[in-house]
Amino acid sequence: MNDLLFDVGYGHFLVLAAVLFLIGVAGVLIRRNALIILMSVELMLNAANMTLLTFSRMWGDQGALSAHTFALIVIGVAAAEASVGLAIVVAVFRGRRNVDVDKLTTLRH
Amino acid sequence: MKFLAWLIAAALILCVAGIATPSLVHAQPVPTAERPAGQGGDAPHAIVTKTHPHDDIVESSGKGMAVLFWIFAAASIAGALFVVTRRNLIAAVMGMVGSFVGIAAVYMMLYAQFLAVIQMLVYAGAIMVLFVFVIMILNRPEDEPVAPTGRLGQVIGGAAILYLVARLAMILINVALPNKAVALASPAPIMLPGWGTVAAEPVGWGTVKAVGNDLFGPGLFPFEAISILLLVAVVGAIAIARPLHPDDGTDADPGIHP
Repeated sequence: MNDLLFDVGYGHFLVLAAVLFLIGVAGVLIRRNALIILMSVELMLNAANMTLLTFSRMWGDQGALSAHTFALIVIGVAAAEASVGLAIVVAVFRGRRNVDVDKLTTLRH
Repeated sequence: MKFLAWLIAAALILCVAGIATPSLVHAQPVPTAERPAGQGGDAPHAIVTKTHPHDDIVESSGKGMAVLFWIFAAASIAGALFVVTRRNLIAAVMGMVGSFVGIAAVYMMLYAQFLAVIQMLVYAGAIMVLFVFVIMILNRPEDEPVAPTGRLGQVIGGAAILYLVARLAMILINVALPNKAVALASPAPIMLPGWGTVAAEPVGWGTVKAVGNDLFGPGLFPFEAISILLLVAVVGAIAIARPLHPDDGTDADPGIHP
């Protein structure tokens, strides 16, 4: 117990990332607001980044491209995704006056 | 009032991170392997034996480090839970910012200093401001019941979550911690396009210099691709969010209604 509390190892970081990822998954599954869903996706991307950095710290950078660079690229992709997603939310809201994903069923039929 | 409490909490966390940083950064953990002379360019696959830079324990196993880790882990998880549970969108964004601050501090503990700063700048600075802008444009702070799904959906969703948790737990149990005596390959020489091979020089771990050397060396193509992707995203966002008929003002795109 003392070890678990005071010897912070890689496992702690991995478990933290897993918990954050699961909270993001839960947000995507239970919330119906498109904005909250986008935020949960960002949360999952952050958890994946944390896992990348933890493994990089664990094994050292052995390949050509380090995990830090990879995480930076992931952040860039997340920024692009957030901007396009928010633009879609604005466009949908303009036409329908809500952003509830359960009510966007036009393409279903 | 709740927002104010969250802002104060975020500022407090930031202060603690600032205090904690120097002692964390000081201990540079990675001894860079000295490349033997004469093996600079033509033997990129030469194995230079070096002991693994770090042990199981990330750093210093000190109680202060552990306490900081638990504080920031609790902050990030609490912020994430705040995002998932709040009805108020602005409160959710504030929880997200607190979560990002905690995550940035955790990055700092992983010696990813550059990534921690980028996390604060890009996520807590730019993306969250974008979210706040959109929330203000939509101007509907309170709405939405949580999860109006039927029994079947709850069963399927619960099963999916349980499966995901089980798989994650198995992966985490099976993670093989690196042996301390493992010999690693030496870092690959940096290839600059058009400049031949430059021998890898010892750089710090996770600093701007290290990430920059990597980003403009082997990571040059992804870097350029990201720039094009961001340009496409900007143009696409403008094209999507613009009203179809500029004269109509903000109301009623005829193209969206069936």
